[in-house]
Amino acid sequence: MTPDSPIKLVSELLDLPLVDSEGSFCGIVDDVEFAGDGSELKLKALLVGPGAYEQRMPGWMFWLVRRIAGDRLLRVPMQMVRTIGAAVELECPGRDLGLHQSEAAAGRWIPRWGAM
Amino acid sequence: MNPLELTLGIMTAVGGFVDISELVFAAKAGSQFGYALIWVFALATVGIIVFSEMSGRVAAVAKQPVFNLMRHRLGLKLGLLTLAASVVSTLITCAAEIGGVALILNYLTGAPYMLMAIGMTGFFVASIWVLPFKWIERTYGLLGLFMIVFAAALVAIHPPWNQFARGFVPQIPNGLSTKELLTFGYFTVAIISAVMFPYEVYFYSSGGIEEQWGPKDMFTNRLTSIIGMGLGSMLAIAILANSAQLFGPANVDPEIPGSAALQAAIPFGKWGLILALLGMFFAVAGAAIETCMANAYSIAQFFGWMWGRHKKPWEAPRFTFTWLVLLLLSLAIVLTAVDVMVLVEFAVLCSILVLPLTYLPLLLLAGDKKYMGKHVNGPFATALGWLYFAVITAAAVAALPLFILTSGGNG
Repeated sequence: MTPDSPIKLVSELLDLPLVDSEGSFCGIVDDVEFAGDGSELKLKALLVGPGAYEQRMPGWMFWLVRRIAGDRLLRVPMQMVRTIGAAVELECPGRDLGLHQSEAAAGRWIPRWGAM
Repeated sequence: MNPLELTLGIMTAVGGFVDISELVFAAKAGSQFGYALIWVFALATVGIIVFSEMSGRVAAVAKQPVFNLMRHRLGLKLGLLTLAASVVSTLITCAAEIGGVALILNYLTGAPYMLMAIGMTGFFVASIWVLPFKWIERTYGLLGLFMIVFAAALVAIHPPWNQFARGFVPQIPNGLSTKELLTFGYFTVAIISAVMFPYEVYFYSSGGIEEQWGPKDMFTNRLTSIIGMGLGSMLAIAILANSAQLFGPANVDPEIPGSAALQAAIPFGKWGLILALLGMFFAVAGAAIETCMANAYSIAQFFGWMWGRHKKPWEAPRFTFTWLVLLLLSLAIVLTAVDVMVLVEFAVLCSILVLPLTYLPLLLLAGDKKYMGKHVNGPFATALGWLYFAVITAAAVAALPLFILTSGGNG
């Protein structure tokens, strides 16, 4: 399925994993953003990060998520989406869209030795 | 796939099948009910084969492990609930495995239990850090093959094979009091839970991705799950039968996990005991690592992080932090001095409650032609899948009342 095909948002797109052009996991489709005037809506971007949970869960649950994971939110423009199937495959490396920031931040604390 | 790799894969599945909960419940079931619960092991083994094969097939075709797709199927809220329940139950299971390993080392060396728990957790950290996935899986799985001594012990004590064979026929023994009937029911549920632990499917399907399975590996997946798990289950059944033959008539209740090792000491003496303890040590140590990694896989996959031990620890940093923290949390549970048997009982109770939520999305995915193409579940797999979903749902509903009514199977 390509980004221009008609899709069922909830059953075919929401909560799918994102895989970048290098084959790395780089988030989940946490929500979507539309463009249009109401008569014709088009998918504009995929929203990634715990900040997107706000509209999808009760307030107390989001309060808890925000305390643990923060409320970071990133937009992945639909032009960057190659295919939609069992995962959403992107046209570019995740770092170009800022999707690997948290991994990189955590990676600074991990020593780089000793592993086969 | 070359035949050597296939054989190693199957042997790994055999040696890695038994964990602390199966050890405990097989020994206790045999002692209390003779051969009458063998059929439950057989029933649950077919169940874990069905779902493991399905999860391996989904991993090979859709290239996605179970938890990645579980959230997509269940949605964020129910998915989060499943994740939380699964993490808690698997964490308790991991603590039970660490406690079990420490106990076995305590029997082998006489060193203090707590010190062994701390030392082994350090050893597990080093194992996961240093070794890539395949080495971790193979090393512990193959060394777990020492457990074959239990099958040899069963042959050596010449059990009544006709009674053993009759144990495979579904039955409820005659003449049980209400209390004994409830305990029989509790053991039935506990064995289903111990054999079909959700972590096994998370680990198996994630392992398929770690080893980059594709549609060409479908035969390997099928053979590994059917033969490997089938033969692995025979080791657990051998422990049950040994217990029925040796412990039951002597009114011995195997109250501690190490009791099972005595089954090999009776026919084979000191070396039987040592081989049994070594087999138990590697099988339970392997399960400790599997439970910890399965939990880290689940969390990383749910949030879309990089994961896997085919990557170096610094190439999947959040995954690395997760398994480190989970191992330390499991150790912290053990260090509260809670009894390993209590941990085992809570592990099976919590796991059976999570099982239906784990297996439903898998069943739906494996039956979805859009994802699976020509490898979608056929009528046989679909029928078996739904039959087992009904079995685990019934077991999940019955688990809590039976646990309360029987004080965790203790009458």
